[in-house]
Amino acid sequence: MNNLKMPSTDRTPEIDFDFGNNHLILRGESYPEDAFSFYKPVFEVLDDYLVQLGTGSCQFDFEIIYFNSSSAKAIMTLFEKLDAAAAGGASVTIVWHYDEEDDTMQELGEEFGEDLEHAAFRLTKLAAGS
Amino acid sequence: MNDDLFAREEGLLAASRAFAERDSFASEAERGAFADLLKGYEKLFKITRRLMRLSDRNERELNEMVGRERLAAEEVSRKNKELETVSNKLSKYLSPQVYTSVFTGAQEVKLESQRKKLTIFFSDIAGFTEVTDKMESEDLTHLLNHYMTEMAQVALHYGATIDKYIGDAIMIFFGDPETRGTRKDAVACVRMAIAMQRRMAELADVWRDGGIEVPLRCRIGIHTGYCTVGNFGSEDRMDYTIVGGAVNLASRLEHEAPAGGILLSYETYAHVKDEVYCEERGRIHVKGLAYPVATFVVVDLREDLEHAGELLREELPHLRLDAAPERMSEEERAAAAVVLRHALARVEKGGNALGPARPVTPGAEAGRSRPEKPDGRGEEKDRTPNSASGALRAEASKTYS
Repeated sequence: MNNLKMPSTDRTPEIDFDFGNNHLILRGESYPEDAFSFYKPVFEVLDDYLVQLGTGSCQFDFEIIYFNSSSAKAIMTLFEKLDAAAAGGASVTIVWHYDEEDDTMQELGEEFGEDLEHAAFRLTKLAAGS
Repeated sequence: MNDDLFAREEGLLAASRAFAERDSFASEAERGAFADLLKGYEKLFKITRRLMRLSDRNERELNEMVGRERLAAEEVSRKNKELETVSNKLSKYLSPQVYTSVFTGAQEVKLESQRKKLTIFFSDIAGFTEVTDKMESEDLTHLLNHYMTEMAQVALHYGATIDKYIGDAIMIFFGDPETRGTRKDAVACVRMAIAMQRRMAELADVWRDGGIEVPLRCRIGIHTGYCTVGNFGSEDRMDYTIVGGAVNLASRLEHEAPAGGILLSYETYAHVKDEVYCEERGRIHVKGLAYPVATFVVVDLREDLEHAGELLREELPHLRLDAAPERMSEEERAAAAVVLRHALARVEKGGNALGPARPVTPGAEAGRSRPEKPDGRGEEKDRTPNSASGALRAEASKTYS
């Protein structure tokens, strides 16, 4: 299936879904004016991919600097979809990258990770300002 | 805090979980449906609490950011005020045009220069040393500052670039960093000089009341020529100024000027003669110049002389009359009469309409030799008596039309 690449904007993160290599990335800041419109196509393409993935393996990297409440709900939905795929037999690894000086992003990552029952979860520090 | 806020929901969940364990469900399907409902509620409850925490956290961070921004803005504002104060103080050491061109970025602050045709002005106070010998230091400071302030106001009114003050001397130029063209720059400079001398006359009364027995009179020299203008000095300490032979000549003219007078070089005179009435003075030799320089002393603005009736000026087709009878010497008066009689005879006789033009050459008839070109290198174009600055000028067109 076709990869999904969306460059970042002032208010939306970069989306880099490299399905061929089973490597998905969401990076940057997320506070779109209409979170549903922005994330809807992301959800749809992810759903199709996870169906095709079957029992294969994939890694999803989150490198988020800031997100608002609506984006938080969208990220939780992404976690749910990935966890559901893992529950279905896929080998899913979620890596949550956070700036080493950003306690908020670390705590949020920890909270989101607690919800996962099947997918593997890893927190990774980024060097400050990187 | 959140625990208290959600106490009722926590209580409801605890009661529902306990209820789910009871045997009172009619069927396992009902128990299952209740368990699903409970699970969904627990999830929503978790999401709600998380989003609320996130929202509170974002708001907190936003407020902290606003606080930091406010402090930063206050710091920037304070720094700006400091810079403004310093810059205002510094501006007093620079000509406004130079200050503006540097602060707007139009002028680069580095050691570089360029050649430009400028009109250069020098003035100093005649007999200043004698005046200062009779004054206390404090009075002298006050007098000098008052004089400089008054002259600077006049200079800025005419758009001058004040280069520097050297003791009681003032060095000014026109044509950089802004220029209105060489001619207009020269005219502005001479008009400024006339305005300064007029202001000096007004100030004489003020100073006399203040104890200055002999009124201050300044000498002014003006020359128009090519200079090298730009930043001179070192990388750490530079002056925006002008250098060159033209500057030396302007300074020399100032030394040669009469007290209370304005002495122009021929180059400046040539640009201003239509607006400023001048009289020719002798030639001066300037170190570095191979030829003597013709000089002209400013009498007044033509418009003011005409207004006062001192200047006769008429312009008709094929006739131009420009005369100041009251300023003529006996010899000049006699020569002028010859010229006018000759002209009158020619006019009354009428002319050969298609005949060749004959220039008026009254100087020869008045027994005067034709003056040399002011720079001494050839013929002068203006052939009226007493040179171009004389008290009479009559010109006829060279061809009949």
